Amino acid sequence: MSYFNIDAQAQNTYDAIVIGSGISGGWSAKELTGKGLRTLVLERGRDVRHITDYPTTMTQPWEFEHRGQLTHEMKEANPIISRCYAFYEGTHQFFVKDAEHPYVQEKPFDWIRGYQVGGKSLMWARQTQRWSDFDFDGPARDGFAVDWPIRYADLAPWYSYVERFAGITGNKDGLPNLPDGEFLPPHEWNCVEKHFQKEVAKRYKDRHVIMGRAAHITQPQPIHFQQGRAQCQHRTICERGCPFGGYFSSNASTIPWAAKTGKLTLRPNSVVHSIIYDEQKGKATGVRVVDTETKQMKEYYARIIFLNAAALNSNLVLLNSTSRRFPNGLGNDSGTLGKYVAFHNYRAGISAEFDGNLDSTTDGRRPNSPYIPRFRNLYKQETDFLRGYAAGFTAGRATKTNQEGFGADLKNNLLNPTLGGWHVGSHMMGETIPKESSYVALDSNLKDPFGIPQLKINIGYDDNDDKMVKDYQEQMTEMFTAAGFTNIRLRDDHRNPGLDIHEMGGVRMGKDPKTSMLNKWNQLHAVKNVFVTDGASMTSTSTQNPSLTYMAMSARSADYAVKEMKKGLL
Amino acid sequence: MERRSALKTMAGAVGGLISLPAWATGWTPETVSLSRQFFSPQQEAVLAALTETIIPKTDTPGARELNVYQFIQKVVADCYDKASQTKFQKGLDTADELAKKSFGKSFSEGEPAQQAAVLTQMSQSGDPDLKAFYSMVKGLTIKGYLNSEYVMTNLTNFQFMPGHYYGCVPVPAKTGTKSD
Ligand SMILES: Cc1cc2nc3c(=O)[nH]c(=O)nc-3n(C[C@H](O)[C@H](O)[C@H](O)COP(=O)(O)OP(=O)(O)OC[C@H]3O[C@@H](n4cnc5c(N)ncnc54)[C@H](O)[C@@H]3O)c2cc1C
Ligand code: SF4
Repeated sequence: MSYFNIDAQAQNTYDAIVIGSGISGGWSAKELTGKGLRTLVLERGRDVRHITDYPTTMTQPWEFEHRGQLTHEMKEANPIISRCYAFYEGTHQFFVKDAEHPYVQEKPFDWIRGYQVGGKSLMWARQTQRWSDFDFDGPARDGFAVDWPIRYADLAPWYSYVERFAGITGNKDGLPNLPDGEFLPPHEWNCVEKHFQKEVAKRYKDRHVIMGRAAHITQPQPIHFQQGRAQCQHRTICERGCPFGGYFSSNASTIPWAAKTGKLTLRPNSVVHSIIYDEQKGKATGVRVVDTETKQMKEYYARIIFLNAAALNSNLVLLNSTSRRFPNGLGNDSGTLGKYVAFHNYRAGISAEFDGNLDSTTDGRRPNSPYIPRFRNLYKQETDFLRGYAAGFTAGRATKTNQEGFGADLKNNLLNPTLGGWHVGSHMMGETIPKESSYVALDSNLKDPFGIPQLKINIGYDDNDDKMVKDYQEQMTEMFTAAGFTNIRLRDDHRNPGLDIHEMGGVRMGKDPKTSMLNKWNQLHAVKNVFVTDGASMTSTSTQNPSLTYMAMSARSADYAVKEMKKGLL
Repeated sequence: MERRSALKTMAGAVGGLISLPAWATGWTPETVSLSRQFFSPQQEAVLAALTETIIPKTDTPGARELNVYQFIQKVVADCYDKASQTKFQKGLDTADELAKKSFGKSFSEGEPAQQAAVLTQMSQSGDPDLKAFYSMVKGLTIKGYLNSEYVMTNLTNFQFMPGHYYGCVPVPAKTGTKSD
């Protein structure tokens, strides 16, 4: 090696590299820098700084050219991302456009992505529930995946740790299937939601309607002020970025916190191509990066690597990291890399009307809603499908205007709306089963604009999902009917998998290196200095929204990695 | 994920009667400057007059004064597919022809009563295209009007930052009373 190379190598060497700056990468970066490691965060997208890079956050409704509506051109050019409910005139800048980052759909899959500093933490819906032992025990109990190498007790302190920092609103409900957390005051119920809660409690011992747990600061604590964040103002346009830092995002919280340590180097516009494996040393030594501006490949080196590119992209990076020792992807001795991918099923919904409580209504807006934790197959296998579903629930009154005719009467009617009745609605959040046949792989021909093989996605619904949809609809109909709701309508939109944005797996954790990729510390069994702490690591998917668990896993693994490093073991 | 889909469900459940909350939408004349002229001057004049017939000036401004036609032009030009755009333009021409037949002038030059008569004729037309045009232009006029800066800030109590959510408050007197 020449002197020059050595110089370059020294300059490009850090203690740790984090790939991705979204929800999980932000946490990895915060923890690693907080423990004194010089950390390089590589992010494929552009930089998005808190407040200054939220172009529509203060846009008044009437200031949008098309009052929020997407243009025809935008829709035509983006059939996939246009299906995402959060993609509109005020937010399109945060979503990956279809043409920019192609992938191969062996089966239809709507891959919803945010490539920028902050990843999807900018646009997420902020629902944050802990997992319970019902979720971690589940696979061992009903045999649909390998046993998780961890249990709730392993994560519980880390859930607390990340909740306090992120700021989570919720109520302590004392449910074994949805453990309580470190909560800021809960959001308010409205009377029809309360009514439903009571009616359900009256009839079912094991079914509960609770207030959602969400990453909103309802009452700032000193730790939030220290981050420069303030109380949530209930604007409910969070997906445009929040100038108050009212909700948790990497941009408002973990990334600036990591930067304050002076140990962080954030490098946007850097697509990680692969992880470099050194056969002599038997470990990873760094990463290859394509600079999106120069299209040039560069290498960066570090003692430990955290892979947080979001579930499917983390699969892609590992699959693309081949060497003599690992011809089928880094750490892939088990042959399971890319397989056993699963997701959440949001296909079904129900809506109805209620003609009670007509003397009251709501005032203001609430960036959260009630939640029905999973009640199926918890204590015993009681249905003909495996696992279960959680559900969202909301009630609200909308205004009603008589829009008949035209002229002065119409105008008068428009300006004097009456209050309509109550409307209630719910949607399912079903667990899907990780199967070997649900996989992602690299396409052997097609490359992305950076010369990296395109990801080929082959993930679909099965019988279990259909049965679960049916059961959700039946059970909710029963509960809605019991609560006196009328005009019940069911929906199954048969949306493509992926649109629920909770894809997981492919680099699953497990006790046995023969059947899994990661050990109980989210560490590659075969390459101990590489950690994967995003959704790729999930052995099964549960029904809870997953991101809080990624946060807890990232913090826990970073803590472990630094301890191991200090012992000289990495 | 939850909130918006629930709102959509609610909106969907009762068809056209319920609109999404006003804060989700809105516009101002400055924001609707057209990148290109989409309608002919004649069509534009007809559109302006149509919107004013639908929502006329009373003790508050009507649709014409609020430039609702500009907003409509922008949405039709940018958000509609080719087929709907053509239908819309044809609708404007048909409205003008009907006006010429019934009172011998362009729609935009008619008396309010004459314009109203043509509009009534359109709304009751057996021609599905014309009827569709009528509801399209009416829907857009209502949307444009209700979501204009003037109406949102002066006539409805829009708040960008409510700062609160109260779940159970008594129905306020104004919106609580039936309009008839
Ligand atoms: C509209 C919406 C609503 C949602 N609602 C919820 C919710 O209510 N609750 C919940 O728990 N979750 C929700 N989610 C999902 C949540 O956003 C994700 O689970 C979470 O962001 C995943 O974190 P992550 O760190 O794995 O990935 P991300 O946050 O997506 O971050 C990954 C980052 O890695 C970068 N990257 C990818 N590949 C590379 C590469 N090769 N090199 C360098 N960088 C790379 C990406 O650009 C990105 O910035 C929602 C998502 C969306 C979009
Ligand atoms: S609801 Fe809260 S977090 Fe969301 S944009 Fe508003 S103030 Fe910010």
